[in-house]
Amino acid sequence: MPAVASEPVRAVIPLVFLALATWFVRDARRSVALPIPAPSGVTRADLELGPPREPLRDPPTIQNGPFRQTCRECHDVFPSPADPQTSLLQHTHVVLDHGLNDRCYNCHRRENRDQLVLHDGRGIAFDEVALLCAQCHGPAWRDWQSGTHGRTTGYWDRTRGEPVRLGCTQCHDPHAPAFPPYVPLPGPSTLRMGRAAEGGPHARPENPLEKWKRPEEPEAHR
Amino acid sequence: MSTVPQAPASEAPSRRSFLRGAITVASGMSAAVAALAPLREIDSEDLPSIEGFLQKHYKEMSPAEMQAALERIRLEVRKRYDVDAIVRDVRPTEGVEFVYALNLSRCIGCRRCVHACVEENNQSRAPEIQYIRVLEMPRGTTDVERGNHHYDHPTVPDELHYYMPVQCHQCANPPCVKVCPVEATWQEPDGITVVDYDWCIGCRYCEAACPYWARRFNYTEPELASEQVNPLMSYLSNRPRPVGVMEKCTFCLHRVREGRMPACLEACPVGARKFGNVLDPESEVAHILREKRVFVLKEDVGTLPRFFYYFDERYPRADGTGADEAGAAPEGG
Repeated sequence: MPAVASEPVRAVIPLVFLALATWFVRDARRSVALPIPAPSGVTRADLELGPPREPLRDPPTIQNGPFRQTCRECHDVFPSPADPQTSLLQHTHVVLDHGLNDRCYNCHRRENRDQLVLHDGRGIAFDEVALLCAQCHGPAWRDWQSGTHGRTTGYWDRTRGEPVRLGCTQCHDPHAPAFPPYVPLPGPSTLRMGRAAEGGPHARPENPLEKWKRPEEPEAHR
Repeated sequence: MSTVPQAPASEAPSRRSFLRGAITVASGMSAAVAALAPLREIDSEDLPSIEGFLQKHYKEMSPAEMQAALERIRLEVRKRYDVDAIVRDVRPTEGVEFVYALNLSRCIGCRRCVHACVEENNQSRAPEIQYIRVLEMPRGTTDVERGNHHYDHPTVPDELHYYMPVQCHQCANPPCVKVCPVEATWQEPDGITVVDYDWCIGCRYCEAACPYWARRFNYTEPELASEQVNPLMSYLSNRPRPVGVMEKCTFCLHRVREGRMPACLEACPVGARKFGNVLDPESEVAHILREKRVFVLKEDVGTLPRFFYYFDERYPRADGTGADEAGAAPEGG
């Protein structure tokens, strides 16, 4: 009889159900460990660019001990050497790293230290320093005028607010104009980007698709 | 086992077969109930509110309904983060089309834009969802397959590489919009592609369709501390998202539609990022498109991006020459 033949099978069914129930309950208790990377820990303070560089404005003054003096107040009294580039006794904090432009009087006007000097000997105010830079850095000057060189922040819509444009010396130190290197903030940590594989700064994340790729040829220009 | 003749099926069941059947049914039901055990962990606060559930699509809401939705979001933010947020619905302006331009000659790969974006747009911090990813590229190629996301030099830029940040390109022909089965994402008149987080069903088709990998999915409940919340929110951009929805760069819609610059641009220390209204011929971006050498990423896929990469005429070569020609840094840089 079929009923008798399937009897052991039927006896097993409740056991299977109970085993499943036990497993489901245990499984529900087990917390699922998602591979959530830790926060990068970057705060608003890390993003502060700080105020732009404070260049000398007109009239150019420096703090000399307790006194706030313009350049002329000293330089009209004490003559400085004709070619002071190699032997700075004053202004020793100035680090001159401006390529071939390594003479003070290329930019500073010898006759009037409150001014800068153009190639033709004309003096210009410190606030007009862009004219001085433009003599060598033509493309940068052209791009800066149209807004494609330098930072423009604030408002793009002039009907609602003024854009903030920075001058040459508000970003670049005229004595060492190369931009300083920056410490990079932490890299990506989203789930899909994965973690950087072990093995140094140029390691690439493990990409399952790359299993089917041929091994890469060594990069020629590294 | 049993030699007793079975009762015919038409008669009442025997005590033994009844018990056997009852045990089978009871154990089956307990298994079914146990299978539902994970439902116990659902927090009633995670379920959508009735107003949220009945809310219409963004484009179909009347002004009064939009006000009600904004108020609901404001209350939810206060409940969840204990923050008094200002939630608005900022609409596009006539005659404005936004374009982004990025100067590859200037970018130094410092990733300040990446994190400024996270701060501005209330993304989840763990896992940290980042809209911008910066690729470190070997000099001499634009093959993004050779880019590296995970560079960690002590300082940047590295001499042998250049840096290419990638974010949503706000395409004029956006594949992500086409694939959305519920029209939860669309392109606005000013060119920004947006997501209605209350309409998104989380199918992630758009993520798969985007050739720039610009969309992000909230796989987990976004984790965001109260002090990290940016209280200036808008419906289509940086209001907090629930788990299970897509999100993406909106060019900081709540900022740029009020005339301001996006957060990533404000954070850029070198001025590599340029933003503006391309319909204004006097704007910086219009000038760049006219005068500079410009390219778009993956032009061949036909997405017509509004995000342009450009570079300056002179750039120091990988061997170090070129930078110091005529005693000048590259273009005054």
